[in-house]
Amino acid sequence: MEHQLLDLIRTEVLDTGEMLTPKSDLFAAGLDSMGIMQLLLAIEDRFGVAIDPADLSRANFSSTEKIAVLVAGKRESIA
Amino acid sequence: MPDSFQQPTALPATCSDGFLLGLESLMRRTGQGRHLAVTVVDCAGVPDATAIRHAAEVLGHRYPILHARIARSPRDWIARWRLDEAVAAAIPVEFWRLPGTPSEGLEIASVEGLVGKLLNAGDIDIRRPGPKLRLHVVATAADRWSLLVLWSHSLLDAVGMAKFLCEFAAPGDERTPRTGGPDRPPPTEAVPTLYRQAHPMIAEMRSFPAWHVRSLHRKSATPGASRFQVFGFDREASAAIRAKMAATAGELLLLPYFAACSARAVRAVIAARHPDEAVPVLLSLPVQRQADPAKRPLFQNHMVPYTVLLTAEELAELKPATRALYRKYADFMRRKLPAAMDALMRLMERCPSRLYNRPAFHYMRGEICTLFHSHTGVFAPGLETIFGSPVINGHHIPSVCSPPGVGIFFSEHDGLLTLTLSWKDGCLSPLELELLKATLAEDLGAPLP
Repeated sequence: MEHQLLDLIRTEVLDTGEMLTPKSDLFAAGLDSMGIMQLLLAIEDRFGVAIDPADLSRANFSSTEKIAVLVAGKRESIA
Repeated sequence: MPDSFQQPTALPATCSDGFLLGLESLMRRTGQGRHLAVTVVDCAGVPDATAIRHAAEVLGHRYPILHARIARSPRDWIARWRLDEAVAAAIPVEFWRLPGTPSEGLEIASVEGLVGKLLNAGDIDIRRPGPKLRLHVVATAADRWSLLVLWSHSLLDAVGMAKFLCEFAAPGDERTPRTGGPDRPPPTEAVPTLYRQAHPMIAEMRSFPAWHVRSLHRKSATPGASRFQVFGFDREASAAIRAKMAATAGELLLLPYFAACSARAVRAVIAARHPDEAVPVLLSLPVQRQADPAKRPLFQNHMVPYTVLLTAEELAELKPATRALYRKYADFMRRKLPAAMDALMRLMERCPSRLYNRPAFHYMRGEICTLFHSHTGVFAPGLETIFGSPVINGHHIPSVCSPPGVGIFFSEHDGLLTLTLSWKDGCLSPLELELLKATLAEDLGAPLP
């Protein structure tokens, strides 16, 4: 999932030429409010989970690795 | 001038510029002045007049667009900046000082008074050769000064202004003329093709009249001068606003949260005027085409307006309003409406500016949208000093046209939030202004300074 997310962030959200890794700081790479909205939408479409506003924190979205943990947790709670 | 000097060729306007030219035309035809904005950069220290004049000289020659006129080509009706006929010159700079401040320049009573004069004077005319951007330097205290940049919204947008300020602060000495914008071949898409692509957005717009969208525009009154109030929140108030946002919508959904606060404030005024109506809000949110500012050109406008309609029920409480705005945005994206809106703008870019808003006026009974709103994020990222003076704050003050007659804009610098309220005389009574401000303060969770 981490790699799927990374690919999605790189191509659809950030449009960056920077080399991103699962640990890269996404806010430093340019993730802004509009990017977050695009990302939430893409996560809903690709992984079938909706993120609660309570989970929308900088800590949860600072890297692809952390987003993957959040999304995996949501999928488990649905299953 | 270098041996290889070549006068740049005419620069085609973007299809986003077509939208802005439509608003400029509306303002001119109805005696509302010009579509101008003032960017204010507050600095510590004293202004370095020599360095400022040097930067104005260098950038004025580097970018002929700063003195060019814009005109539609008789060949394809696309508007073009006539760089081919522009005469390069320094950007005009004027120096001012507040009472009791030892500095060069004429004395003025207040920065706000000067900004008001600049927005309403019409010193910038995009249809004639001459400056499209002007600089004003105001010494506000013995160790404080402000740079005021007056600009036409047809020339650039807030992201472009941030890039301009960074270049102004480190101008170098390179004066070779360049366009500062992307050249492009004349559009080849056939009108029927564009119409087909734009149709989903046209169908969406045709659904708006059923909601009886209103703005603060009063059809019985002639809109007057541009008015504004700027509210700079201190660190404590800014933190309180962010804390309320985090508790309401999460700390990252800045865009829908501030848009919902703004929509609810304007809705409160319209609801007070029409107490028997369930008042909806039609929001026009500018979204940059290019996510990475480093990749986009300096000049011209590069945004697509996302249009979302919020019902009275959705706006009743702040938290559901923010969530509804996000859902509407998601719906807008899922139905591929941004691509349809883009096609619509390409379809309309050949349209004479005076006719640009006619379809919207027709379908929405004289309205365009309920309000203008944007949160431009961090003010001028990368701009830390201007010729040795640390930048301590900054914000934009755009004028708005009527309809809709009001705009609510946010930006942030170093953790300090700034709110700019911009309206047209005649669109807000003093009591309505107080209601608007009280609603904003309540939703934001901090009194307006």
